[in-house]
Amino acid sequence: MAIIERPATAGGVEIAPPATPSRAQGGFKRPVATTGWKSWLFTVDHKKLGIMYGVMAMFFFIVGGIEAVLIRLQLAAPEGKVLSASVYNQMFTMHATTMVFLFVMPMAAAFANYFIPLQIGARDVAFPRMNAFGFWCVLGGGIFINLSWFLGGAADGGWFMYAPNSGPIFSPSHGVDFWTLGLQITGIASLTGAINLIVTVLNMRAPGMSLMKMPVFTWLQLVVQFLLLFAVPVITVALFLLSFQRNFGATFFDVSAGADPLLWQHLFWIFGHPEVYILILPSFGIISEVLPVFSKKPLFGYPFVVFSGAAIGFVGWGVWAHHMFASGLGPVSVAVFSISTMAIAIPTGVKIVNWTLTLWGGKLRFTAAMHFAVGLIVLFTIGGLSGVTHSVAPSDTQQTDTYYIVAHFHYVLFGGAVFGLFSGFYYWWPKMFGKTLNEKLGKANFWLMVIGMNMTFGPMHILGLQGQPRRMYQWTEARAGEGFFNLAFWNQIASIGSLILVVGVLLFLINVVKTARSKELAPLDPWDSRTLEWMTSSPPKEHNFDVIPTVHHLDEFFHRKYQQDPVTHEYKQIATAEEILADQEAHADKHIHMPSPSYWPIVLAATLPIITTGVIYSIPVAIVGGIFLVLAMFGWALEPSTAPETDFDPPAAGESTKELAPLV
Amino acid sequence: MFTPGSKFFLGLTGFSLAVCVLYIALVDNATGGAVALLSIATASGVVAGLSLFNRDGEVAVGDTAAPASAEQLTASMWPLIATVGFVGVVAGLITHPIVFFLGLIALLAAGTEWLVQSWSEGASSDKVYNASLRGRMLHPLEFPILATVGLGVIIISFSRVMLAVSKDAGAIIFIVVGSAVLFAGAIFALKPSLKKTLVVGICVASAVGVAASGIAAASNGLRDDLVKAKKEHHFSHKECGEEESEHFDHLAEGTISMRSNPIATIELRDGKLTARELGVDKVTQTITFPRSNDATIIFRNKDEREARLTAYLGTKAVQDGVVEEVLNCTQMIGIDHEQALTFKIAKPSMASEKPYTLTVPGLEGQSIEIMVP
Amino acid sequence: MSTTTRRIVAGVSGLAATSFLASCAKDAPQDTWQPKGSNAKIIDDLQQPVFAIAGVVGVIVFCVVVYCIIKFRDRGQAMPEQTHGKPALEIGMTILPALILAGVGVFTFRTVFDLSKTSDTQMVVNVTGQQWWWEYDYPAQPELGITAPIITSGQMVIPVGTKVLLRETSRDVIHSYWIPALNGKRDAVPGRVHTLRLDADKPGIYAGQCTEFCGLSHANMRMETVALSKEDFAAWVANQLADAKSPAENTLAKEGEAVFLNQCVRCHQVNGLKKADGSPAIAAPDENVWSGAAPNLTHLMSRNTFAGASWDLLNKKCRANVWGASSETVGKKYLAGVSEECLNQTDLRRWLRNAPAMKPMYADPTQLSSTNGKYRGMPNLGLSEDDIDKLVAYLSTLK
Repeated sequence: MAIIERPATAGGVEIAPPATPSRAQGGFKRPVATTGWKSWLFTVDHKKLGIMYGVMAMFFFIVGGIEAVLIRLQLAAPEGKVLSASVYNQMFTMHATTMVFLFVMPMAAAFANYFIPLQIGARDVAFPRMNAFGFWCVLGGGIFINLSWFLGGAADGGWFMYAPNSGPIFSPSHGVDFWTLGLQITGIASLTGAINLIVTVLNMRAPGMSLMKMPVFTWLQLVVQFLLLFAVPVITVALFLLSFQRNFGATFFDVSAGADPLLWQHLFWIFGHPEVYILILPSFGIISEVLPVFSKKPLFGYPFVVFSGAAIGFVGWGVWAHHMFASGLGPVSVAVFSISTMAIAIPTGVKIVNWTLTLWGGKLRFTAAMHFAVGLIVLFTIGGLSGVTHSVAPSDTQQTDTYYIVAHFHYVLFGGAVFGLFSGFYYWWPKMFGKTLNEKLGKANFWLMVIGMNMTFGPMHILGLQGQPRRMYQWTEARAGEGFFNLAFWNQIASIGSLILVVGVLLFLINVVKTARSKELAPLDPWDSRTLEWMTSSPPKEHNFDVIPTVHHLDEFFHRKYQQDPVTHEYKQIATAEEILADQEAHADKHIHMPSPSYWPIVLAATLPIITTGVIYSIPVAIVGGIFLVLAMFGWALEPSTAPETDFDPPAAGESTKELAPLV
Repeated sequence: MFTPGSKFFLGLTGFSLAVCVLYIALVDNATGGAVALLSIATASGVVAGLSLFNRDGEVAVGDTAAPASAEQLTASMWPLIATVGFVGVVAGLITHPIVFFLGLIALLAAGTEWLVQSWSEGASSDKVYNASLRGRMLHPLEFPILATVGLGVIIISFSRVMLAVSKDAGAIIFIVVGSAVLFAGAIFALKPSLKKTLVVGICVASAVGVAASGIAAASNGLRDDLVKAKKEHHFSHKECGEEESEHFDHLAEGTISMRSNPIATIELRDGKLTARELGVDKVTQTITFPRSNDATIIFRNKDEREARLTAYLGTKAVQDGVVEEVLNCTQMIGIDHEQALTFKIAKPSMASEKPYTLTVPGLEGQSIEIMVP
Repeated sequence: MSTTTRRIVAGVSGLAATSFLASCAKDAPQDTWQPKGSNAKIIDDLQQPVFAIAGVVGVIVFCVVVYCIIKFRDRGQAMPEQTHGKPALEIGMTILPALILAGVGVFTFRTVFDLSKTSDTQMVVNVTGQQWWWEYDYPAQPELGITAPIITSGQMVIPVGTKVLLRETSRDVIHSYWIPALNGKRDAVPGRVHTLRLDADKPGIYAGQCTEFCGLSHANMRMETVALSKEDFAAWVANQLADAKSPAENTLAKEGEAVFLNQCVRCHQVNGLKKADGSPAIAAPDENVWSGAAPNLTHLMSRNTFAGASWDLLNKKCRANVWGASSETVGKKYLAGVSEECLNQTDLRRWLRNAPAMKPMYADPTQLSSTNGKYRGMPNLGLSEDDIDKLVAYLSTLK
């Protein structure tokens, strides 16, 4: 009893051989624009994403900077009236949140995205669409957190958000909800980014590039990605606990229900301390590239720098409780964490020694990038040493939560992380945009920032040691001491310093605009650099390298340009960058397959803020967001990662398809 | 870019959203209608998305390949499952809601699978391509759901077993099963050349074994002491007087987390109750509690019998003129065991007629006074 | 010398000069480098050498970097040797800091345990933090003359040379008790009791501040520890143990008592205060304030600050007289309390008129939904100027 009858296939009828459709699923064809806003919105190119990360981070640097200046204006005089207590609390919470999560981390991600594939001789990252998704998550999360300013006030519990002060009773506005959920979104980006870059570095290095021939920047970024991979889940858990406490009546930190508020502190700092290294190691990596180039010497003790970076990555997990020396952990824990904190100073010290010895005996050229790199060595050393003073736990109980700590971590994070990033700007600008930033303005920028930073944060050492606590919206004459150099004086100096710092950063922005307007193109290898990213055009082609280079040395590019004379042991130039590039172009690969742009990363990322908005205001909205999330996941899953040509929308009038056309 | 079908549904989504906004703006008490309109919008949005992904179901449109062929049909179990689901739904309506929901789930699953399968089979004449098409559509759904169901079955089965056997047997089973899993995992990892069918066979056999013992255990019921404890409502009541229940939890101290830095530790030893305040190196009969403060004490039983600690926390008016004592207590604590007790006293000692005390029911003449300044 | 070098040298000398001048900021009340008690002294003895070592290391690194900058600047010299490092030097430079830190570590270890001892305690004070003030209760300690519990707030009074143990906890969020001159800080965490040792070498008023961010008015949560000689302390205890006396009939203060009974006693306890029917008036802060506590005002005028020790009860002149007194005379002056002519009328009246305007607190009903209508801090009571006059008169009788 056949319900479906098969067609007869009697002899003589020819059956066509099976054919595979040549088109991907999904109603949307692939986006194709290579210019205009669409080419940025739907791109999966690691370089474009890197630039977008950078622009976003710079925007939030300015936002965070404005917050910082408002804080300093409030504290310039006793009983400041610029901000109310409530707004002040929001201001310092958001200043830290913005600078940590929305400036330094994305800026480090910008450099990582842009330069890791170039430094290891790859054509893109391992998961290009995930890369784009990560960027849109950070942007969405960042905007979401800052929306709270306009919706009843931002988070006001400090970036450390200690329970129970962050609970629904003590922080009744929605600020903390925005903060928690926004950070969850950026956390997703950190995780996907970490997995992506780890896979990229481990699997996609150019032939011949063993791990110990990898540039230091890539190495330290690899350490950072591992730190992220393990640290972000911890904060995710903590944020979920806080969310449930705030939005769904859970009692994880509620003493009357038998809970212990110290749980939050442990969770936060197990994340928070590795986070410190997540912020600083990329900058260490940058100056480990800059110093050798401008010293004309390889990095001194490359394996020591690499292994000390890895050591920091390990020991960094065993020091979290030094943020809690005053929390009442008991003497045994305090003593142990005190010692482990001292231990982590050793690998950090090793780095300083190596950088200094890289300078030693070199041929130093003081470009703006070099200025910032040397500035980092000195300023970070100050911050590192003040760090050692409060690894001594009893001493720390006097200093913690005072301005001495503020001074310490600004020397580490501003003098360290930010100076490293600025060094990277000046060093890599010609690579990214084909134009060199103005050196004169750059040096002015450096000196203003050095002066501003020392004037702002230097006096804070004194303020702290003389007993001014942090996070106070006002200070009073009564506790400022006597004499001309009393705390009032130092507070004023710090406020003036912050304005100088603002001018310094403004100079950088002016420099950027000026450079963008100038017609002068940078030479191909302006700094006589040593690593692979300089072995391609500036800005690099979409496929990075015409030929994937085969690596024989650490500092491969240097060894292609210079060769040692077997007799005199002197290095002589044998090729210029232009010649090397011309040679590559002549032997360009025939079949280069680049990942195709996609709509889905941005669509998927856009559903997350909808869900989080729903969690705060109305669950049905979250459900609608969730439905769109599932749809976007389907869209993503149905789309092949590389599509055949037929899957592209034809270019609109006037748009170019040059770069996307398969290079046959 | 947009197919005609998706255009229709997108339009419907937009229209119903707009109507919804208008409706909320114009009609008072608009909840019911708004929910209906939002539901329409959401549903048509989903359908619009789906029809976008499969180009209104017309996979082959524009393909250069040979037309779809009807001879690609494969055997399918979905009609059978759909039938079972339908029967379940009907049967559930007259028997039990669970049957109804299981039937509904089977019906939905079968419907989805059937739909996608027949759609993909019409896609082209290339079988492999068609299979991959089906996979792309359904794997993102199938894998997480099957994994959840599979894990859920194993977890529930295992928990039934643990609740049915005695505590000692439970420990042994746990060790044996854990070691077996570890052993099997080690073997599989060390011998990658092992036959695939063998590995699959072992896994399936053990999963079936766990599920079967779970069913057996569930039908056998809970072990005796749990049954009795349930009868005595042991889990919900708080007896602050002498113990009347027979089957209290003898491992209470293991069920409440240990705390560091409690305000005081109360110890029962040789029939005497003593207190030790944190940080104060002497034994006392009076402890000081800040007023209105959730504070925790630890009760440590070093006596030769089981005991509980009861806190008298003053009185409260339940109705006009009727006053009730406020008591709080630990569970019955076994010998050499301890438990934390968290409570709050809102009024100072001078506001209470009787002093606030900690006592052990059945132990005369021993009490610790709580001083609330 | 190039311009850069000259700038650097100028910078260095400038830095040295400023750090020298830093020590000139004298008499900051919360200076951490002026220990006044044995615990702070132990910390100071440990940290001074650490700061010195850190300073020396910093200067060495700075000098080496400056030397490199000057010496190895590009002057057209040949390409330097492409050396990848000298392992022996590297290992040496790893071991050297490790040794220094090991040395520091040993002393740190010892100090941590010294500072956590509780066996030599001579007196116990329970310290409870809440938004945004500190409460102290002294359990009965007959050997010190404290025959019944004493409760006070803002200023803690201890006898000089006595090893006091604070048992800290909190009623709401985490606070931190810190008197820099006497010891480091210790957090007061709800649900936990943390101990902190304090003792003072000489009589005096030692200022401190809450140092764990505790919400809106964190900056206005201060405290002082007042060390008195043993005799003065006994006098203080005797005064604290006494109940407040009702003012004489037909005085402004007596009318103030009525206002107090009508308004303030909802939260503030005054021991000995009787209701109109003669029964004791028991405050019920647990029904009105989220933390469940408000300062006990029985001996308000024996303290010289109020509202979380953020404002003075003494006017400027009297304050300078008491706070600036030598260690010999400070005890007597402190015990004198706040007399009528010394009372800081301005701030006290401002406070009674509208407390939340002076110190940010959650007193606005729209912000109280999360606490079921309970206040966090003192609300604006809407008192008339008349009532304020009466209250001030009454409060100044609470010696």
